[in-house]
Amino acid sequence: MKKSLRFLALAIALALIAVAVAPSAQAAQTVNLVLMGWSSSPSENERLQKIVDDWNAANPDIQVTLNQVPDYDTTLQKSLAGGEPPDVFYVDSFRFLDLVRAEALMPIGEKLTDIDDFYPALRNAFTANGQFYCPPKDFSTLALQINTEMFEAAGLSAPTTWEEMRAAAEKLTKDGVFGVVVPADFARWIAFLYGAGGSVTDDAFTKMTINSPEAEAAMEFYTGLYLDGFAKTPADLGVGWSGEAFGKGLVAMAFEGNWIEPYLKDQFPDLKHKAVELPAGPGGKATMAFTVCYAVPMKAKNPDAAIKFVNYLTGAEGMKAWTDLGLAMPTRASLREGWLELFPNLEPYLNGAEYARKWQFVPGFQAVLDKVNEQLSLVMAGNQTARGALAEIERVGNEVLASR
Amino acid sequence: MAVAAPSIGKRGGFQLSAKGQERAAGFTFILPALIIVVVFIFLPLFSAFLISFTNWNGLQPPFEAQGVGLRNYERIFGLDGTTVVRDEFFVAIKNTFYYTLGVVPTQTALALVLAFIVNQQFLRFRGFFRVAFYFPSITSSIVIATIFLWLFNRNGVINGVIGGVANFLGLQYSPVTWINDANGIIHNFLRLFGVTIRTAPAWMTETTILGQTIWQWISGPSVTMLAIMLLAIWTTTGTMMLIFLAALQDIPRQLYEAASVDGATRWQQFRLITVPMLRPTTFFVLTIGLIGCFQVFDQIYVISQGNPAGTTKTIAWIVFRNLRDSQAGLGAALAFVLFVIIAVFTVIQRRLVGKTVQQ
Repeated sequence: MKKSLRFLALAIALALIAVAVAPSAQAAQTVNLVLMGWSSSPSENERLQKIVDDWNAANPDIQVTLNQVPDYDTTLQKSLAGGEPPDVFYVDSFRFLDLVRAEALMPIGEKLTDIDDFYPALRNAFTANGQFYCPPKDFSTLALQINTEMFEAAGLSAPTTWEEMRAAAEKLTKDGVFGVVVPADFARWIAFLYGAGGSVTDDAFTKMTINSPEAEAAMEFYTGLYLDGFAKTPADLGVGWSGEAFGKGLVAMAFEGNWIEPYLKDQFPDLKHKAVELPAGPGGKATMAFTVCYAVPMKAKNPDAAIKFVNYLTGAEGMKAWTDLGLAMPTRASLREGWLELFPNLEPYLNGAEYARKWQFVPGFQAVLDKVNEQLSLVMAGNQTARGALAEIERVGNEVLASR
Repeated sequence: MAVAAPSIGKRGGFQLSAKGQERAAGFTFILPALIIVVVFIFLPLFSAFLISFTNWNGLQPPFEAQGVGLRNYERIFGLDGTTVVRDEFFVAIKNTFYYTLGVVPTQTALALVLAFIVNQQFLRFRGFFRVAFYFPSITSSIVIATIFLWLFNRNGVINGVIGGVANFLGLQYSPVTWINDANGIIHNFLRLFGVTIRTAPAWMTETTILGQTIWQWISGPSVTMLAIMLLAIWTTTGTMMLIFLAALQDIPRQLYEAASVDGATRWQQFRLITVPMLRPTTFFVLTIGLIGCFQVFDQIYVISQGNPAGTTKTIAWIVFRNLRDSQAGLGAALAFVLFVIIAVFTVIQRRLVGKTVQQ
């Protein structure tokens, strides 16, 4: 009895050791990586999975698992704070500086192929302390969507300046339709702020420069459309966002990113519309670039394999496979022509890459963004003047910048 | 086995006295629960408390953060001369206060009335009503909030019904943008009497206390917040009703019978028997209602994210926002301030309501 028990125990122990040793023997040859990202649409997930599968088939020594998580920011935060970050993960340009300051990212930019091919504005969005940290995987810009049916009926052509846009909005506001949809959202208004020649802070983020005559002109133009009755907010129209208002034909114009295109195609296939570049303000053309990069963590276990994989994803071949889906635009200038052949109607968005500004501020700036949104809605409700709003934003912003 | 073991073991091992054995057995029995409570409640609580004294950004392992002493707390109360964090905190205090003031009394009163009704013997389909009233409480708050988002849409059911009724009565109704209306309801009420920010006395619009003018302090909850309050009342009333119902059924029938023999009216019975007998329950319902209100978060997250114009920012919401925006240390400090506020209010409430609560 006792003997057989001892034998059983020995057998179990041996089996456990065998199980424990087996994968580590294999791991000596194969590196396993985890790519973590968020999931925006089924077609996007499918395409990324296919790209990863292709990579796995071609690289038996580096096997990648795709992990698309809900509630991405929290999940990433947890895994970084826990000291076990994924091997490759998405970083939004808006979060980039937070992560750099936390020393969470490894600067891998210099190790990639042909980095001069990335649009400078986008490379710049992921550069800090003079180092290019992570390559932009794709990007989106803002442009003006116009309802061509309404424009033709009114005998109007696409507006190219603020004056033309205002005039078009005025003329097209009739029969329950409004000229344009204007959310009280800094991420949209800021394109007008730059278009007016204004700025938010100085380049080094030491003080606010938003309380300027240019910014006042931008705010008066933007909120003026609303106060004069040519524009409505999405909530006023009972919709969730500008794209829905535009798709339903409640407004003749909307400024949105290129993500609106697949949405309109899918939800409102009969809508006749086209995109044009955002009308130029007194300070010239301006738009915003929203971009995401593939980052490798500072504490990467297999940095070389991860860099190799990122280099594939953002190289000419990998990026083409990804952006040919038409959801977001390639960040390499060399892919421009090929992509435009597939999506000629998105050219205004891609043109924005030449003059787009990055959507990026310093850590802790969220309080200022909240303040801008709050002040915008106060001005639009008629409870605040543009000048008063800018003074208030400046006060809060300076305090945030000073307490960094 | 355990009975009266000889005091010296065969192997001369250490032997516990009978009392000690009992104690050891007792601790062994509670050990699993104790471990769970310590590991999952006390340790996180304690580490959150420590984190509130650091500048932890939530992105690096917490022990890499630097201690900043009381700085986070100083920022919350503006003791270091800055105003941004303080102003936001007091806006959140104001919003949370109005929210609680509206929700707690309403849901408690409503729950009592509903419990009283579904407790009546003569009511038909009692089971159906009990389930129907309780149903919102067991549904996911995220799902309910999403549905409310639709109901309160500008072109949604609520505006449709109000518009229909107004139309029927021959009145004009311009649809309210429920989910994006920053106007305070007390401000709206004052406007009926011609008092607006332009006509209000100067001492109201020019005296600033903790970042807001008196006029802003008395705004009341915004229209959007009101919609969220209605949602909260609708969801939680069911739970409270269930608690009241259980308590109502615990009141001995003999008390009522004796009272009616003595000639007490129905109203006297309600006032002098039901209400006092329900006192401990009322205290309990008020307390959990208060705690729930101070912690309101998921509805805000789904419906408004603190918008419009910051009128639905609550304390729990700014805790979350700071954790998310790489200011976990400040977020932890705010969470502790919230904890203290809840504790203080619970004690006050206990003094007021719980005076005669037995046990």
